Amino acid sequence: MSLLQEERKIILSNEYVDAFDFAEVAEFVKNASKDLFISHHFKTKNKMLVQPRGGFPTYKKQFALNEFFVEANVDVLPLTIDSNTRLNDYATAKKMLRLSEENDVDMLNGYPLVNHGYRTTRKMITHFNKPVSLRHGTPDARLLIETAIASGIFEIEGGPITYLLPYSKNFPLDKAFLYWKYVERVCANYSELNEPINRESFGPLTATLVPPCITIVIQLLEMMLSLEEGVKSFSVSFSQTGSMNQDIVMGAVIKKLAKHYAAEIDCSDASINLVYHQWMGAFPMNKDYAEQLINMSTVIAAMVGADKIITKTREEASGIPTKEANAKTVANTQYTLGILNGLPNVVDEQEEEILTLEVKAIMEAVFNDSADTLWRKVFNSIKNGIIDVPFSPHIINHNQMITVRDAKKNIRIIKRANVPIPDRCYEYEKAQCDLAKDTTSIVNDIVHDIGIMQ
Amino acid sequence: MKVITGVVGNDIHVVANRLIDLSLQARGFEVFNLGVNTYLEEFFDAAVETGAEVLLISSLNGEAEGWGREVKSLKAKYKTLDDLIMMIGGNLVVGTGNAEDIVPRYKNYGFDLVCHQIDLNTGLDSLEVFIKDRKIQKRNK
Repeated sequence: MSLLQEERKIILSNEYVDAFDFAEVAEFVKNASKDLFISHHFKTKNKMLVQPRGGFPTYKKQFALNEFFVEANVDVLPLTIDSNTRLNDYATAKKMLRLSEENDVDMLNGYPLVNHGYRTTRKMITHFNKPVSLRHGTPDARLLIETAIASGIFEIEGGPITYLLPYSKNFPLDKAFLYWKYVERVCANYSELNEPINRESFGPLTATLVPPCITIVIQLLEMMLSLEEGVKSFSVSFSQTGSMNQDIVMGAVIKKLAKHYAAEIDCSDASINLVYHQWMGAFPMNKDYAEQLINMSTVIAAMVGADKIITKTREEASGIPTKEANAKTVANTQYTLGILNGLPNVVDEQEEEILTLEVKAIMEAVFNDSADTLWRKVFNSIKNGIIDVPFSPHIINHNQMITVRDAKKNIRIIKRANVPIPDRCYEYEKAQCDLAKDTTSIVNDIVHDIGIMQ
Repeated sequence: MKVITGVVGNDIHVVANRLIDLSLQARGFEVFNLGVNTYLEEFFDAAVETGAEVLLISSLNGEAEGWGREVKSLKAKYKTLDDLIMMIGGNLVVGTGNAEDIVPRYKNYGFDLVCHQIDLNTGLDSLEVFIKDRKIQKRNK
């Protein structure tokens, strides 16, 4: 028995799990409709794919949500997983699912996929025959991903860094790398049977003043960790920064460098896509303003040239959105994309050059770590602050880098800490900001900079 | 002067925590930031370990209310914390409430300074005033 199979056996010895029939699952994937594969849509469709967020505890409510989305002309359906399942607490998820079913009140903030099982969930996925994207936030997603693929969910979001640093205080990062390595292998293996399973990284991170170079470095590293295990279709992503120019520059640089680093590890045959998240920070309470913000995000996504956009709703500030509000955003976004024609081609060579130099310098520092494998190099680089994510709650993150917005609302680094930003770039970043202020005024600025859309 | 700070309970809201850290440093405090998702025992253990004079707990999701009730009995188990300045701030109830009810309740839990939905710098100003007043009191004793 191979190591992978041994690991699989251990994961499945769990009282909440379906009895897996892997021969049947392989047969299912092999004969599955191409329409279920987002990788197929990326190849054949000539428009930006629109995908909302959403997950309800019961099968019935999830089914109803999907009906609303299809009615609104959705391109990609989401399946957001509840927080108990994300922490592998299937017992609590089971109890809460039963309470939700019996009382018609939602006791979970998402769909408990492992408890529902793949045989049940597959009925829903094949019924709608649309690609489904798995949204979760799980450090140990091994069982979840086995269940997802067996259900017909052929896009898996996440990664060892992007699903850990924004969400956890002390889950061990080295374990997360190994658990995600399993996920990549499983995705790679199933990719050989039909169209490729698409993996997507979660670029927004903490969505709080994260500088473009940090986002891009983490996107590239998760891409490389995935491709080196054999994944053939990967999406890098980022969220709206607050400056249209910075978004456009980020889009250009990440596309160029993703190709570059894929080629570095002889993985040029993999297709790389770009995903744009509508504003991920704090939303205005005023729902009409929220719609304006969402619409502006769509315009920027078009300027960036994203392959897929992930939407928010007018109810973002007040909690989990209703299916009506959620579907409304999908319809509105499709409308905006349909009428956005004749976009200008904006190129800011100076900003692109600065950002490219920053990313390359950090990547080089990661590669120069003395560890023997890429995941260990990345692990060490996070541990020693070469990669530092502003506002991460995780104890391993250094939290020493300081960023603010300049007059044009671009995110700038005013304290680089251990991150090896080249001197020339660092001087440029600081020169855009007013550094004469004392720390108290800078803190006030940061509070303001975080809440610019409110 | 040494300060322990952190977010109490299962609350993972990290932004204000980081800003409290920066602001305290700017005011010359030596900060020991325990971060989000911190339990009461960890706060008191850290106060003993560092010899800190101030404990500044913050909360955003309002669960401090539940933890607050246990402060007195837990703190009494530690021998050296009688002079520790206890401060709490943030959003101190689940749902909505007004400061006139909340502040006395938290003082009763054993906090010297209670800041419900108060601007960060205003709160830290009040801490500095409190520290100064206490020094004068001690000198006059």
